[in-house]
Amino acid sequence: MRAGWPVTTFVAQNHLRRPVQEPPTDDDEAISRSLAGDLAAYEVLVARYSAVAHRTAALLGAGDEAEDVVQEAFVKAFRHLAGFRRDAAFRPWLLRIVANETHTATRARGRRADLALRAGARAEPDGGPADPQDVAVATDRRTRLLAAIRALPDQEREAVVCRYLLQLSEAETAEVLGRPVGTVKSRTFRGLARLRKEVGDDLF
Amino acid sequence: MTSSDDPERTAPPPEDALERELLALGAVLEVPAPPPDAVARAVRARLAAEDAPAVDAAPARPAAARRPRRWRRVAALVAAVTLALAGLTPQGQAAVARVLRFAGVQLDLGGPGPLPSGGPSGVPSPLPGERRTSLAEARRAVAFPFGVPAVLGEPPEVRIADHGRVVSLLWPGVRLDAYDGLLDVVWRKELGPPWPEDVTVGADPGRWIAGPHELIYLPRAGRGPVPLARRAAATLIWRHGGTGYRLEGPVDLTAARRIAGSVR
Repeated sequence: MRAGWPVTTFVAQNHLRRPVQEPPTDDDEAISRSLAGDLAAYEVLVARYSAVAHRTAALLGAGDEAEDVVQEAFVKAFRHLAGFRRDAAFRPWLLRIVANETHTATRARGRRADLALRAGARAEPDGGPADPQDVAVATDRRTRLLAAIRALPDQEREAVVCRYLLQLSEAETAEVLGRPVGTVKSRTFRGLARLRKEVGDDLF
Repeated sequence: MTSSDDPERTAPPPEDALERELLALGAVLEVPAPPPDAVARAVRARLAAEDAPAVDAAPARPAAARRPRRWRRVAALVAAVTLALAGLTPQGQAAVARVLRFAGVQLDLGGPGPLPSGGPSGVPSPLPGERRTSLAEARRAVAFPFGVPAVLGEPPEVRIADHGRVVSLLWPGVRLDAYDGLLDVVWRKELGPPWPEDVTVGADPGRWIAGPHELIYLPRAGRGPVPLARRAAATLIWRHGGTGYRLEGPVDLTAARRIAGSVR
């Protein structure tokens, strides 16, 4: 019977005396240190993937809740880090959690995913059309395309959003959406066919 | 390990005009986002405030398993409130409601719960006479048989402590302690809610402690000046044959059982 031991006679504190370390340089190091409880290392990882996480949440329809969804996803990712396969890529693993949180948020909202986005306000990446009339035509075309994407059935929309708007590979899309690659291929194909029917194939 | 520079991202543009147009649309879409540093600080603040490892479901949990999740949320909330109260109450005043002995572990239920000032979990703290060794040497040095989880593979670090009474296998973020689970009580755990859950690991009985708790190593009688206490993360304990195991690091029961079930 050892119940008489004092409860907190001695608390091992060696972990509190850890020296201040340099910020981690790559994902693998950041993950190792995060797993050991180093929140500063995890902070680096969060900052690194924050933009793509917000983009994914917003484009998958998180709407106003994108910021909450992303924070929640990063908190969950930290807690589940021990289950992350170290030979895999961190980005799709994280984005899957973001996608799941987005689903939870849109389900809780009880309505359709909110793809409220503005197209064309950002500068053309490659110098694009400079003539104001061309810009107007291009913007109109993009607005129609966005509306058509928004009207796609959920599964096809998610596949199209991941593959093109987020520019993920088929394998990454499969991981993020938790579907086999074949399913991603067929949903993308069906989504493209529907978009083509809706907005035509003509270029601006 | 792939970093953010994915070679697939520089793939040539697709032949199809609509696909090219969609990619271009993605490039000009505006997605408002707060500054990454601010997000990182906010996430860190939340983790530091909770300072508790997961009691939540895995990301890809099937729908059928969702119900217990709500329970765990409630339990986590209770634990958080308890933790806050424990910070205000002298620990000595907390009465131990129930003592449960299992597989070399004494569970004191209704204790003060986790130490409010505990450090990060999963950081190994040394046991008496703890030293690094090899797996083969550890097998020779301890008197009880122990296995290694096949899903984790050979541990990068092996330690034995207290004259071969405990062997610890360590992977990044995961710690598996094996010890003689029949003869005497090796560990004591001070638990507040959530209470340990009866589980099975293969055909063996086990207990899952979903939240952080105080873990106290009890040296053999007459050896070691004081018990060692540290804050432990969620832990699965079970017994296989005469060997007791405690697995710390996996954040939910599913992950813990997967690892535990693969011990060969």
